[in-house]
Amino acid sequence: MVGPAATLTPLARADGSASYQCPSTGSNILGSVNAPVELPGRRDALKPEEATVEVFVKPGTAPAGVGERYVEGIIKGVLGRLILGRERGYPRRGVVVTLATVGGDSVGRGDSYLTLLPALLHTALLALLSASVPLSMTFSATVLAVSDSGEIIREPSTEQAAAAKSLHVLAFSSKGHLLLNESQGAFDFETWEKVHQRALAICHGTSAIGSDGDVAMVEDVDGQPLEGTIRETIEDQVHRDYAWKIDAV
Amino acid sequence: MSSPLVLLPGDEVPSEYLPATNSAPLRLGPGLRLLTQPPSSSPSSSSPSHVLTATQAGILSTDNKRNAVSIFSSPNRRYIPTPNDLVIAQVHHSSQDYFHCMITPQTPHVVLGQLAFEGATKKTRPMLKQGDLVYARVLSVGLGAGAEIELTCVNPATGKAEPGGLGHLTGGMVFDISTGMAARLMRASSSSSDQQDGVAGLVVLDELGKKLEKAGGFEIAVGRNGKVWVDCSNGGDAAVKATVAIGRCLTTIDEHDLGPADQKKLVSRILREMKIDV
Repeated sequence: MVGPAATLTPLARADGSASYQCPSTGSNILGSVNAPVELPGRRDALKPEEATVEVFVKPGTAPAGVGERYVEGIIKGVLGRLILGRERGYPRRGVVVTLATVGGDSVGRGDSYLTLLPALLHTALLALLSASVPLSMTFSATVLAVSDSGEIIREPSTEQAAAAKSLHVLAFSSKGHLLLNESQGAFDFETWEKVHQRALAICHGTSAIGSDGDVAMVEDVDGQPLEGTIRETIEDQVHRDYAWKIDAV
Repeated sequence: MSSPLVLLPGDEVPSEYLPATNSAPLRLGPGLRLLTQPPSSSPSSSSPSHVLTATQAGILSTDNKRNAVSIFSSPNRRYIPTPNDLVIAQVHHSSQDYFHCMITPQTPHVVLGQLAFEGATKKTRPMLKQGDLVYARVLSVGLGAGAEIELTCVNPATGKAEPGGLGHLTGGMVFDISTGMAARLMRASSSSSDQQDGVAGLVVLDELGKKLEKAGGFEIAVGRNGKVWVDCSNGGDAAVKATVAIGRCLTTIDEHDLGPADQKKLVSRILREMKIDV
């Protein structure tokens, strides 16, 4: 399976930005982060000692609607747990994350946003890293569809997702803890356990899981774990930025 | 330490990368935090009770002399004022006691005392107008949220403008560069070296200095807030051209991350294009 392709800092004016393309879902997201920024009005009054995280999701062609508001809420929840809003310069300021769909299938009005959610989360994370916003950890996320026959499909296309019995988005922190679990459709605990195991294998590789033969096969299908892909993207960018320092050593 | 270590948020700093412990305490720079290790399963284990973790993605940098460790993160990041930073500020307006200046366009104004200049008294204070540039040091950033940032152009202890050059910047022109480039330029301009590759991989200043010697040389002031002020003092048409050429060299190198060889080529090319004879 081909991993996602990501570029850091494609935008010159934003404090941090990332573009992210997931080949299996065909989604192409451009994200920008501005932080720390002054917030207009008194939007900081609720938590005066913390930074306020704001997320905006822009669909490719249509104006943002209820679906975008919903997914903005989910992303905000995940990022809020990640961002260290008490570091110097951040309290009472805002961290503004803007994510725009620039290619691939955009989500129609009323359709599920879960297929796009991992790409949006990854873009937001990479853009935050590129803006040097202090974070407590990194994460990786994936979406899985369970078809009528009980087969688990990784990163389904829009048609597959529409036909699926249930859809699951799971995110794992870099330490391997479950960070986000959004599910939709009818499923039982047993299915969810399977989905959880498969998602962990996709994000972190199979070393964390027991040594039964079934799991070993999964590893070949999924290729490199997503956690590693994200780390490589960052390391490439750091090596480019600091070529002058690294070459001198 | 053979290869540089790239860390991501949440990664622990391996203890072998830290500077060798001596009497001085370890100084933590930006991008790192100290966490208390939760009590491990075996209480008798000799693992350290504290761990250093990264909060930003970047390259780990250690300074054995100062016993300091920090993370060099993305050079395009936003400037966050820290005490003792040298910045280039622009006067926005003045009030009874203070000049209100901008150091970054998006943050609230910072204050600079009317008397915080070398030799300034109630009678003889500098008359700065709106739009004037000041090279200043960050005196304090205040505690807590919403605190005012104060600048100064003198060392409060001695009353001298140290390091030299703090104060009103007359003439010249300001160019915007990334904060990472500003930090590199500061290191490059504060220490002259005989190395082939220059300090911090920058040979552009040495190169420009050699080529523009006949044109009377130039002055440069680098602000940590991503601004660089350039002036050629010899007046006339050539000075303006040389100023613009230096600015173009610096911004292009910043934008394209040029290595030492490319920097030399770029300097020659821009000087040729601008028809400045060397």
